[in-house]
Amino acid sequence: MIAMSKAIVIENFTYRYPDGTAALSDITLSVEHGQKVALIGPNGAGKSTLLLVMAGFVKGTGKVFVDGMEVNGANLKKIRTCLGACLENPDDQLFMPTLFDDVAFGPLNMGLTPDQVKARVADALTTVGLAQMADKAPHHLSAGQKRAAAVATILAMSPKIITLDEPDGSLDPRNRDNLMNLLRSLPQTLIIATCNMRFAAALADRAVLLDKGRIIADGGADEIMSDSALMAEHGLEVAAKKTK
Amino acid sequence: MHHAYIDKFAYQDSAIHRLDSRVKFLVVLVFTAVVISLPRMSLSILACYAVGPFAVLVWAGIPLRFVFKQILLVSPFVLVLALSCPLYDRTPVVVGFGPFFWQTTTGWLRCFAILGKFVVTMFALIVLVSTTRFNDLLAGLQWLGVPRLLIIQLGFLYRYIFVLIDRAHHILLARAGRKLKNLGFKNELRTAASMLGSLFVRSIDTAEHISIAMQARGFDGSWHTLSKLHIRRCDVFFVLVAALFISGLYLLVRPILT
Repeated sequence: MIAMSKAIVIENFTYRYPDGTAALSDITLSVEHGQKVALIGPNGAGKSTLLLVMAGFVKGTGKVFVDGMEVNGANLKKIRTCLGACLENPDDQLFMPTLFDDVAFGPLNMGLTPDQVKARVADALTTVGLAQMADKAPHHLSAGQKRAAAVATILAMSPKIITLDEPDGSLDPRNRDNLMNLLRSLPQTLIIATCNMRFAAALADRAVLLDKGRIIADGGADEIMSDSALMAEHGLEVAAKKTK
Repeated sequence: MHHAYIDKFAYQDSAIHRLDSRVKFLVVLVFTAVVISLPRMSLSILACYAVGPFAVLVWAGIPLRFVFKQILLVSPFVLVLALSCPLYDRTPVVVGFGPFFWQTTTGWLRCFAILGKFVVTMFALIVLVSTTRFNDLLAGLQWLGVPRLLIIQLGFLYRYIFVLIDRAHHILLARAGRKLKNLGFKNELRTAASMLGSLFVRSIDTAEHISIAMQARGFDGSWHTLSKLHIRRCDVFFVLVAALFISGLYLLVRPILT
Protein backbone atom coordinates (compact mmCIF):
# COMPACT_ATOMS: atom_id res chain seq x y z
CA MET A 1 0.00 0.00 0.00
CA ILE A 2 3.03 2.27 0.50
CA ALA A 3 3.58 1.99 -3.24
CA MET A 4 0.13 3.48 -3.93
CA SER A 5 1.10 6.99 -2.85
CA LYS A 6 4.34 7.12 -4.82
CA ALA A 7 5.10 7.65 -8.48
CA ILE A 8 7.87 5.04 -8.53
CA VAL A 9 8.87 2.43 -5.98
CA ILE A 10 11.76 0.05 -6.63
CA GLU A 11 12.59 -2.54 -4.02
CA ASN A 12 15.86 -4.49 -4.00
CA PHE A 13 16.07 -4.67 -7.76
CA THR A 14 19.00 -6.47 -9.35
CA TYR A 15 19.64 -7.04 -13.03
CA ARG A 16 22.50 -8.74 -14.83
CA TYR A 17 23.29 -8.65 -18.52
CA PRO A 18 23.15 -12.02 -20.31
CA ASP A 19 26.97 -12.29 -19.99
CA GLY A 20 26.65 -12.09 -16.19
CA THR A 21 27.85 -8.49 -15.74
CA ALA A 22 25.86 -6.73 -13.03
CA ALA A 23 24.02 -3.77 -14.58
CA LEU A 24 21.99 -2.87 -11.48
CA SER A 25 22.63 -4.20 -7.98
CA ASP A 26 20.14 -4.07 -5.14
CA ILE A 27 18.46 -0.83 -6.18
CA THR A 28 15.92 0.58 -3.74
CA LEU A 29 14.37 3.88 -4.71
CA SER A 30 11.10 5.72 -4.35
CA VAL A 31 9.97 8.86 -6.14
CA GLU A 32 7.05 11.02 -5.01
CA HIS A 33 4.50 12.40 -7.44
CA GLY A 34 5.52 15.79 -8.83
CA GLN A 35 9.20 15.39 -7.97
CA LYS A 36 11.89 16.26 -10.48
CA VAL A 37 14.65 13.74 -10.01
CA ALA A 38 18.04 13.69 -11.73
CA LEU A 39 19.68 10.30 -12.12
CA ILE A 40 23.32 11.26 -12.32
CA GLY A 41 26.40 9.14 -12.78
CA PRO A 42 29.26 8.44 -15.15
CA ASN A 43 28.83 6.56 -18.46
CA GLY A 44 27.90 2.94 -17.88
CA ALA A 45 26.59 3.61 -14.36
CA GLY A 46 23.22 2.00 -15.14
CA LYS A 47 21.09 5.15 -15.51
CA SER A 48 19.52 4.20 -18.86
CA THR A 49 18.94 0.64 -17.68
CA LEU A 50 17.18 1.93 -14.57
CA LEU A 51 14.86 4.04 -16.74
CA LEU A 52 14.09 0.95 -18.84
CA VAL A 53 13.33 -0.97 -15.64
CA MET A 54 10.73 1.66 -14.68
CA ALA A 55 9.05 1.32 -18.08
CA GLY A 56 8.99 -2.46 -17.80
CA PHE A 57 11.51 -3.20 -20.54
CA VAL A 58 14.09 -4.84 -18.30
CA LYS A 59 13.20 -7.70 -16.01
CA GLY A 60 15.32 -8.70 -13.04
CA THR A 61 14.88 -9.70 -9.43
CA GLY A 62 13.07 -7.38 -7.03
CA LYS A 63 9.86 -5.39 -7.27
CA VAL A 64 9.01 -2.29 -9.25
CA PHE A 65 5.82 -0.26 -8.84
CA VAL A 66 4.68 2.59 -11.07
CA ASP A 67 1.86 4.74 -9.69
CA GLY A 68 0.94 1.89 -7.38
CA MET A 69 0.86 -0.77 -10.10
CA GLU A 70 3.39 -3.56 -10.00
CA VAL A 71 5.38 -3.77 -13.23
CA ASN A 72 4.40 -7.10 -14.77
CA GLY A 73 2.94 -8.39 -18.03
CA ALA A 74 -0.66 -7.83 -16.93
CA ASN A 75 -0.11 -4.15 -16.05
CA LEU A 76 2.24 -3.12 -18.84
CA LYS A 77 -0.35 -1.34 -20.99
CA LYS A 78 -1.64 0.72 -18.05
CA ILE A 79 1.92 1.44 -16.89
CA ARG A 80 2.97 2.70 -20.32
CA THR A 81 -0.02 5.02 -20.42
CA CYS A 82 0.98 6.36 -17.02
CA LEU A 83 4.75 6.53 -17.61
CA GLY A 84 6.15 8.09 -20.78
CA ALA A 85 9.67 7.00 -21.67
CA CYS A 86 11.73 9.30 -23.87
CA LEU A 87 14.79 7.58 -25.33
CA GLU A 88 18.28 9.05 -25.61
CA ASN A 89 18.35 9.34 -29.41
CA PRO A 90 15.35 11.27 -30.82
CA ASP A 91 15.83 9.45 -34.12
CA ASP A 92 14.79 6.27 -32.30
CA GLN A 93 11.81 8.02 -30.74
CA LEU A 94 10.54 9.60 -33.98
CA PHE A 95 9.86 6.68 -36.29
CA MET A 96 6.78 7.80 -38.23
CA PRO A 97 6.81 9.58 -41.61
CA THR A 98 5.51 12.90 -40.23
CA LEU A 99 5.63 14.67 -36.91
CA PHE A 100 1.84 14.59 -36.68
CA ASP A 101 1.76 10.81 -37.13
CA ASP A 102 4.54 10.41 -34.60
CA VAL A 103 2.81 12.45 -31.90
CA ALA A 104 -0.52 10.76 -32.73
CA PHE A 105 0.99 7.27 -32.44
CA GLY A 106 0.62 7.00 -28.64
CA PRO A 107 -2.89 8.52 -28.35
CA LEU A 108 -4.12 6.24 -31.17
CA ASN A 109 -2.77 3.21 -29.33
CA MET A 110 -4.62 4.42 -26.23
CA GLY A 111 -7.84 3.99 -28.21
CA LEU A 112 -8.82 7.68 -28.29
CA THR A 113 -11.21 8.98 -30.96
CA PRO A 114 -9.77 10.81 -34.01
CA ASP A 115 -10.96 14.18 -32.64
CA GLN A 116 -9.37 13.54 -29.25
CA VAL A 117 -6.16 12.43 -30.96
CA LYS A 118 -6.05 15.60 -33.08
CA ALA A 119 -6.62 17.75 -30.00
CA ARG A 120 -3.88 15.97 -28.06
CA VAL A 121 -1.43 16.29 -30.97
CA ALA A 122 -2.20 20.00 -31.33
CA ASP A 123 -1.76 20.59 -27.58
CA ALA A 124 1.49 18.63 -27.37
CA LEU A 125 3.01 20.34 -30.41
CA THR A 126 1.96 23.77 -29.13
CA THR A 127 3.53 23.04 -25.73
CA VAL A 128 6.91 22.23 -27.31
CA GLY A 129 6.64 25.07 -29.84
CA LEU A 130 6.33 22.93 -32.96
CA ALA A 131 2.70 23.61 -33.85
CA GLN A 132 3.65 24.77 -37.36
CA MET A 133 5.75 21.66 -38.04
CA ALA A 134 3.06 18.97 -37.82
CA ASP A 135 3.38 17.95 -41.47
CA LYS A 136 7.18 17.89 -41.49
CA ALA A 137 9.09 14.64 -41.78
CA PRO A 138 11.26 14.03 -38.68
CA HIS A 139 14.45 13.93 -40.77
CA HIS A 140 13.76 17.52 -41.82
CA LEU A 141 13.93 18.76 -38.20
CA SER A 142 16.99 20.20 -36.46
CA ALA A 143 18.53 18.44 -33.44
CA GLY A 144 16.73 20.79 -31.02
CA GLN A 145 13.41 20.38 -32.80
CA LYS A 146 13.82 16.60 -32.81
CA ARG A 147 14.39 16.63 -29.07
CA ALA A 148 11.32 18.81 -28.49
CA ALA A 149 9.30 16.58 -30.83
CA ALA A 150 10.40 13.51 -28.88
CA VAL A 151 9.05 15.14 -25.71
CA ALA A 152 5.81 15.96 -27.55
CA THR A 153 5.31 12.29 -28.45
CA ILE A 154 5.25 11.58 -24.72
CA LEU A 155 3.20 14.63 -23.68
CA ALA A 156 0.42 13.67 -26.12
CA MET A 157 -0.23 10.60 -23.99
CA SER A 158 -0.67 12.81 -20.86
CA PRO A 159 1.43 10.57 -18.62
CA LYS A 160 1.78 11.23 -14.90
CA ILE A 161 5.48 10.36 -15.00
CA ILE A 162 8.04 11.16 -17.68
CA THR A 163 11.47 9.58 -17.92
CA LEU A 164 14.09 11.21 -20.13
CA ASP A 165 17.40 9.64 -21.07
CA GLU A 166 20.18 12.21 -21.64
CA PRO A 167 17.73 14.79 -23.01
CA ASP A 168 20.43 17.45 -23.37
CA GLY A 169 22.69 15.31 -25.56
CA SER A 170 24.02 17.04 -28.71
CA LEU A 171 22.06 20.24 -28.04
CA ASP A 172 23.58 23.69 -28.38
CA PRO A 173 23.18 26.09 -25.40
CA ARG A 174 20.12 27.85 -26.84
CA ASN A 175 18.29 24.60 -27.56
CA ARG A 176 19.36 23.25 -24.17
CA ASP A 177 17.89 26.34 -22.47
CA ASN A 178 14.67 25.96 -24.47
CA LEU A 179 14.40 22.32 -23.46
CA MET A 180 15.18 23.20 -19.86
CA ASN A 181 12.40 25.81 -19.78
CA LEU A 182 10.00 23.34 -21.36
CA LEU A 183 10.80 20.61 -18.84
CA ARG A 184 10.62 23.06 -15.95
CA SER A 185 7.11 24.05 -17.03
CA LEU A 186 5.81 20.47 -17.00
CA PRO A 187 3.71 19.53 -13.97
CA GLN A 188 4.51 15.80 -14.31
CA THR A 189 6.94 13.77 -12.25
CA LEU A 190 10.23 13.94 -14.15
CA ILE A 191 13.07 11.44 -13.91
CA ILE A 192 16.03 12.59 -15.96
CA ALA A 193 19.15 10.55 -16.57
CA THR A 194 22.08 12.81 -17.38
CA CYS A 195 25.83 13.27 -17.10
CA ASN A 196 25.45 17.04 -17.44
CA MET A 197 25.48 18.41 -13.90
CA ARG A 198 24.52 21.95 -14.89
CA PHE A 199 21.46 20.63 -16.70
CA ALA A 200 20.58 18.37 -13.76
CA ALA A 201 21.11 21.13 -11.19
CA ALA A 202 18.94 23.57 -13.11
CA LEU A 203 16.03 21.13 -13.35
CA ALA A 204 15.99 18.73 -10.46
CA ASP A 205 15.17 19.16 -6.81
CA ARG A 206 16.50 15.73 -5.98
CA ALA A 207 19.52 13.82 -7.27
CA VAL A 208 20.29 10.12 -7.22
CA LEU A 209 23.93 9.28 -7.87
CA LEU A 210 24.50 5.91 -9.53
CA ASP A 211 27.81 4.24 -10.23
CA LYS A 212 28.59 0.68 -11.29
CA GLY A 213 24.91 -0.23 -10.99
CA ARG A 214 24.54 0.89 -7.37
CA ILE A 215 22.95 3.90 -5.74
CA ILE A 216 25.81 5.83 -4.15
CA ALA A 217 23.93 8.88 -2.89
CA ASP A 218 20.34 10.09 -2.81
CA GLY A 219 19.26 13.51 -1.62
CA GLY A 220 18.78 17.16 -2.45
CA ALA A 221 20.17 18.08 -5.86
CA ASP A 222 22.13 21.09 -4.56
CA GLU A 223 23.56 19.13 -1.68
CA ILE A 224 24.77 16.16 -3.74
CA MET A 225 25.95 18.02 -6.81
CA SER A 226 27.95 20.55 -4.83
CA ASP A 227 29.88 17.85 -2.95
CA SER A 228 33.15 18.13 -4.85
CA ALA A 229 34.74 15.07 -3.23
CA LEU A 230 31.75 12.86 -4.06
CA MET A 231 31.49 14.18 -7.59
CA ALA A 232 35.21 13.79 -8.28
CA GLU A 233 35.22 10.25 -6.88
CA HIS A 234 32.63 9.24 -9.46
CA GLY A 235 34.06 11.15 -12.40
CA LEU A 236 31.50 13.95 -12.34
CA GLU A 237 31.79 17.71 -12.21
CA VAL A 238 30.48 19.98 -9.47
CA ALA A 239 27.38 21.91 -10.46
CA ALA A 240 26.80 25.53 -9.56
CA LYS A 241 24.04 26.00 -6.98
CA LYS A 242 20.59 26.57 -8.39
CA THR A 243 19.52 30.19 -8.60
CA LYS A 244 15.95 30.57 -7.43
CA MET B 1 23.60 16.32 -43.20
CA HIS B 2 21.93 17.30 -46.46
CA HIS B 3 20.32 14.50 -48.46
CA ALA B 4 18.82 14.41 -51.93
CA TYR B 5 15.33 13.38 -50.84
CA ILE B 6 13.30 11.84 -53.64
CA ASP B 7 10.27 13.88 -52.58
CA LYS B 8 12.09 17.14 -51.89
CA PHE B 9 9.73 19.13 -54.16
CA ALA B 10 6.67 17.45 -52.69
CA TYR B 11 6.61 20.05 -49.90
CA GLN B 12 5.86 22.87 -52.36
CA ASP B 13 2.33 24.10 -52.84
CA SER B 14 0.42 23.97 -56.14
CA ALA B 15 -2.90 22.67 -57.42
CA ILE B 16 -1.13 19.45 -58.43
CA HIS B 17 0.50 19.09 -55.01
CA ARG B 18 -2.90 19.43 -53.35
CA LEU B 19 -4.48 16.59 -55.35
CA ASP B 20 -5.31 13.38 -53.51
CA SER B 21 -2.43 10.89 -53.60
CA ARG B 22 -4.72 8.02 -54.65
CA VAL B 23 -5.94 9.96 -57.67
CA LYS B 24 -2.42 10.83 -58.75
CA PHE B 25 -1.22 7.27 -58.24
CA LEU B 26 -4.07 5.73 -60.25
CA VAL B 27 -3.73 8.25 -63.10
CA VAL B 28 0.04 7.64 -63.31
CA LEU B 29 -0.54 3.88 -63.21
CA VAL B 30 -3.05 3.95 -66.09
CA PHE B 31 -0.93 6.45 -68.05
CA THR B 32 2.16 4.24 -67.69
CA ALA B 33 0.26 1.11 -68.72
CA VAL B 34 -1.12 2.84 -71.83
CA VAL B 35 2.27 4.29 -72.84
CA ILE B 36 4.00 0.93 -72.38
CA SER B 37 1.34 -0.82 -74.48
CA LEU B 38 1.78 1.56 -77.46
CA PRO B 39 3.09 -0.13 -80.63
CA ARG B 40 6.82 0.36 -81.09
CA MET B 41 6.35 2.14 -84.43
CA SER B 42 4.26 4.98 -82.98
CA LEU B 43 6.97 7.41 -81.93
CA SER B 44 4.89 10.44 -82.89
CA ILE B 45 2.03 9.51 -80.56
CA LEU B 46 4.61 8.94 -77.84
CA ALA B 47 5.67 12.56 -78.28
CA CYS B 48 2.00 13.59 -77.91
CA TYR B 49 1.73 11.58 -74.68
CA ALA B 50 4.85 13.31 -73.33
CA VAL B 51 3.02 16.66 -73.44
CA GLY B 52 0.67 15.66 -70.56
CA PRO B 53 3.15 14.88 -67.76
CA PHE B 54 5.53 17.57 -69.03
CA ALA B 55 2.80 20.21 -68.73
CA VAL B 56 1.92 18.98 -65.22
CA LEU B 57 5.60 19.16 -64.19
CA VAL B 58 5.79 22.77 -65.38
CA TRP B 59 2.47 23.62 -63.71
CA ALA B 60 3.63 22.11 -60.42
CA GLY B 61 6.82 24.16 -60.55
CA ILE B 62 9.20 21.19 -60.58
CA PRO B 63 12.55 22.39 -61.97
CA LEU B 64 13.18 20.70 -65.32
CA ARG B 65 16.88 20.44 -64.50
CA PHE B 66 15.94 18.21 -61.54
CA VAL B 67 13.61 16.15 -63.79
CA PHE B 68 16.28 15.49 -66.43
CA LYS B 69 18.88 14.77 -63.74
CA GLN B 70 16.61 12.11 -62.26
CA ILE B 71 16.03 10.60 -65.71
CA LEU B 72 19.79 10.56 -66.43
CA LEU B 73 20.39 8.89 -63.06
CA VAL B 74 18.23 5.90 -63.97
CA SER B 75 18.98 5.90 -67.71
CA PRO B 76 22.11 3.65 -67.80
CA PHE B 77 20.02 0.54 -67.17
CA VAL B 78 17.57 1.38 -69.95
CA LEU B 79 20.29 2.62 -72.30
CA VAL B 80 22.04 -0.76 -72.24
CA LEU B 81 18.77 -2.48 -73.12
CA ALA B 82 17.79 0.02 -75.82
CA LEU B 83 21.19 0.21 -77.51
CA SER B 84 21.40 -3.54 -77.79
CA CYS B 85 18.29 -3.60 -80.07
CA PRO B 86 20.01 -2.31 -83.27
CA LEU B 87 22.64 -5.01 -82.85
CA TYR B 88 20.32 -7.99 -83.11
CA ASP B 89 17.40 -6.68 -85.21
CA ARG B 90 18.65 -5.32 -88.55
CA THR B 91 15.49 -5.78 -90.65
CA PRO B 92 15.30 -2.76 -93.02
CA VAL B 93 12.26 -0.58 -92.70
CA VAL B 94 11.13 2.71 -94.28
CA VAL B 95 9.78 5.32 -91.89
CA GLY B 96 8.07 8.57 -92.68
CA PHE B 97 7.24 11.82 -90.99
CA GLY B 98 5.03 14.13 -93.07
CA PRO B 99 6.60 14.47 -96.51
CA PHE B 100 9.94 12.97 -95.38
CA PHE B 101 10.85 9.27 -95.73
CA TRP B 102 14.06 7.46 -94.87
CA GLN B 103 15.32 3.93 -94.39
CA THR B 104 16.46 2.50 -91.08
CA THR B 105 16.25 -0.84 -89.22
CA THR B 106 13.58 -2.20 -86.89
CA GLY B 107 16.25 -2.40 -84.20
CA TRP B 108 16.74 1.37 -84.21
CA LEU B 109 12.98 1.91 -84.13
CA ARG B 110 12.73 -0.41 -81.17
CA CYS B 111 15.64 1.41 -79.50
CA PHE B 112 13.95 4.82 -79.84
CA ALA B 113 10.61 3.39 -78.75
CA ILE B 114 12.18 2.01 -75.55
CA LEU B 115 13.97 5.29 -74.85
CA GLY B 116 10.85 7.34 -75.64
CA LYS B 117 8.61 5.23 -73.43
CA PHE B 118 11.21 5.39 -70.67
CA VAL B 119 11.39 9.19 -70.76
CA VAL B 120 7.60 9.65 -70.93
CA THR B 121 6.88 7.20 -68.11
CA MET B 122 9.67 8.76 -66.04
CA PHE B 123 8.01 12.16 -66.52
CA ALA B 124 4.82 10.68 -65.09
CA LEU B 125 6.62 8.98 -62.23
CA ILE B 126 8.51 12.16 -61.34
CA VAL B 127 5.18 14.05 -61.35
CA LEU B 128 3.86 11.56 -58.82
CA VAL B 129 6.90 11.50 -56.54
CA SER B 130 7.68 15.22 -56.74
CA THR B 131 4.17 16.40 -56.02
CA THR B 132 3.16 13.84 -53.40
CA ARG B 133 4.69 13.55 -49.95
CA PHE B 134 5.96 10.05 -49.32
CA ASN B 135 3.68 9.53 -46.31
CA ASP B 136 0.63 10.63 -48.36
CA LEU B 137 1.66 8.23 -51.10
CA LEU B 138 1.93 5.43 -48.56
CA ALA B 139 -1.48 6.32 -47.10
CA GLY B 140 -2.92 6.27 -50.63
CA LEU B 141 -1.32 2.93 -51.42
CA GLN B 142 -2.68 1.50 -48.20
CA TRP B 143 -6.16 2.69 -49.09
CA LEU B 144 -5.77 1.07 -52.52
CA GLY B 145 -5.15 -2.30 -50.89
CA VAL B 146 -1.37 -2.61 -50.73
CA PRO B 147 -0.61 -4.89 -47.72
CA ARG B 148 -0.19 -2.93 -44.49
CA LEU B 149 3.03 -4.76 -43.61
CA LEU B 150 4.62 -3.57 -46.85
CA ILE B 151 3.44 -0.02 -46.19
CA ILE B 152 4.92 -0.06 -42.68
CA GLN B 153 8.20 -1.41 -44.04
CA LEU B 154 8.32 1.26 -46.75
CA GLY B 155 7.60 3.92 -44.12
CA PHE B 156 10.45 2.71 -41.91
CA LEU B 157 12.74 2.40 -44.94
CA TYR B 158 12.08 6.01 -45.93
CA ARG B 159 12.43 7.23 -42.34
CA TYR B 160 15.69 5.44 -41.57
CA ILE B 161 17.51 5.22 -44.91
CA PHE B 162 18.90 8.72 -44.31
CA VAL B 163 19.94 7.88 -40.76
CA LEU B 164 21.77 4.84 -42.15
CA ILE B 165 23.40 6.88 -44.93
CA ASP B 166 24.58 9.41 -42.31
CA ARG B 167 26.10 6.65 -40.23
CA ALA B 168 27.81 5.08 -43.24
CA HIS B 169 29.16 8.51 -44.16
CA HIS B 170 30.53 9.04 -40.63
CA ILE B 171 32.21 5.63 -40.70
CA LEU B 172 33.77 6.47 -44.07
CA LEU B 173 35.00 9.80 -42.70
CA ALA B 174 36.52 8.07 -39.66
CA ARG B 175 38.29 5.64 -41.98
CA ALA B 176 39.51 8.37 -44.31
CA GLY B 177 40.87 10.32 -41.34
CA ARG B 178 43.09 7.45 -40.26
CA LYS B 179 43.92 5.84 -43.60
CA LEU B 180 47.25 7.42 -44.41
CA LYS B 181 48.42 5.03 -47.14
CA ASN B 182 47.10 2.50 -49.60
CA LEU B 183 46.23 -0.58 -47.58
CA GLY B 184 46.19 -3.04 -50.44
CA PHE B 185 43.22 -4.97 -51.76
CA LYS B 186 43.12 -7.59 -49.00
CA ASN B 187 43.27 -5.07 -46.15
CA GLU B 188 40.79 -2.74 -47.86
CA LEU B 189 38.40 -5.65 -48.13
CA ARG B 190 38.90 -6.50 -44.46
CA THR B 191 38.28 -2.87 -43.46
CA ALA B 192 35.16 -2.72 -45.63
CA ALA B 193 33.84 -5.90 -44.01
CA SER B 194 34.41 -4.43 -40.53
CA MET B 195 32.66 -1.22 -41.53
CA LEU B 196 29.68 -3.12 -42.90
CA GLY B 197 29.61 -5.24 -39.74
CA SER B 198 29.61 -2.12 -37.57
CA LEU B 199 26.80 -0.61 -39.64
CA PHE B 200 24.82 -3.83 -39.33
CA VAL B 201 25.24 -4.04 -35.55
CA ARG B 202 24.22 -0.39 -35.16
CA SER B 203 21.17 -1.02 -37.36
CA ILE B 204 20.09 -3.86 -35.10
CA ASP B 205 20.65 -1.58 -32.10
CA THR B 206 18.50 1.12 -33.69
CA ALA B 207 15.78 -1.42 -34.49
CA GLU B 208 15.74 -2.49 -30.83
CA HIS B 209 15.45 1.11 -29.67
CA ILE B 210 12.63 1.81 -32.12
CA SER B 211 10.84 -1.26 -30.85
CA ILE B 212 11.19 0.05 -27.28
CA ALA B 213 9.94 3.51 -28.34
CA MET B 214 6.92 1.91 -30.02
CA GLN B 215 6.05 -0.32 -27.08
CA ALA B 216 6.54 2.57 -24.66
CA ARG B 217 3.73 4.33 -26.51
CA GLY B 218 1.35 1.43 -26.27
CA PHE B 219 2.11 -0.44 -29.53
CA ASP B 220 0.74 -3.97 -29.28
CA GLY B 221 1.15 -5.16 -32.86
CA SER B 222 -1.83 -3.40 -34.43
CA TRP B 223 -1.04 -0.29 -36.43
CA HIS B 224 -3.38 2.70 -36.04
CA THR B 225 -3.17 5.83 -38.18
CA LEU B 226 -5.46 8.77 -38.86
CA SER B 227 -6.47 9.05 -42.50
CA LYS B 228 -6.05 12.53 -43.93
CA LEU B 229 -7.12 11.54 -47.45
CA HIS B 230 -10.24 13.00 -49.01
CA ILE B 231 -11.47 13.31 -52.59
CA ARG B 232 -12.52 16.82 -53.60
CA ARG B 233 -14.03 18.28 -56.73
CA CYS B 234 -10.63 19.21 -58.16
CA ASP B 235 -9.55 15.55 -57.85
CA VAL B 236 -12.57 14.45 -59.89
CA PHE B 237 -11.82 17.17 -62.45
CA PHE B 238 -8.18 16.02 -62.68
CA VAL B 239 -9.28 12.41 -63.26
CA LEU B 240 -11.68 13.52 -66.01
CA VAL B 241 -9.03 15.60 -67.78
CA ALA B 242 -6.47 12.81 -67.48
CA ALA B 243 -8.96 10.21 -68.76
CA LEU B 244 -9.84 12.44 -71.72
CA PHE B 245 -6.19 13.04 -72.51
CA ILE B 246 -5.13 9.38 -72.25
CA SER B 247 -8.13 7.83 -74.01
CA GLY B 248 -8.49 10.69 -76.53
CA LEU B 249 -4.94 10.22 -77.76
CA TYR B 250 -5.30 6.48 -77.77
CA LEU B 251 -8.63 6.29 -79.60
CA LEU B 252 -8.62 9.34 -81.87
CA VAL B 253 -5.10 10.46 -82.69
CA ARG B 254 -3.44 7.04 -82.73
CA PRO B 255 -5.23 5.71 -85.87
CA ILE B 256 -4.30 8.93 -87.71
CA LEU B 257 -0.68 8.92 -86.69
CA THR B 258 -0.11 5.22 -87.27
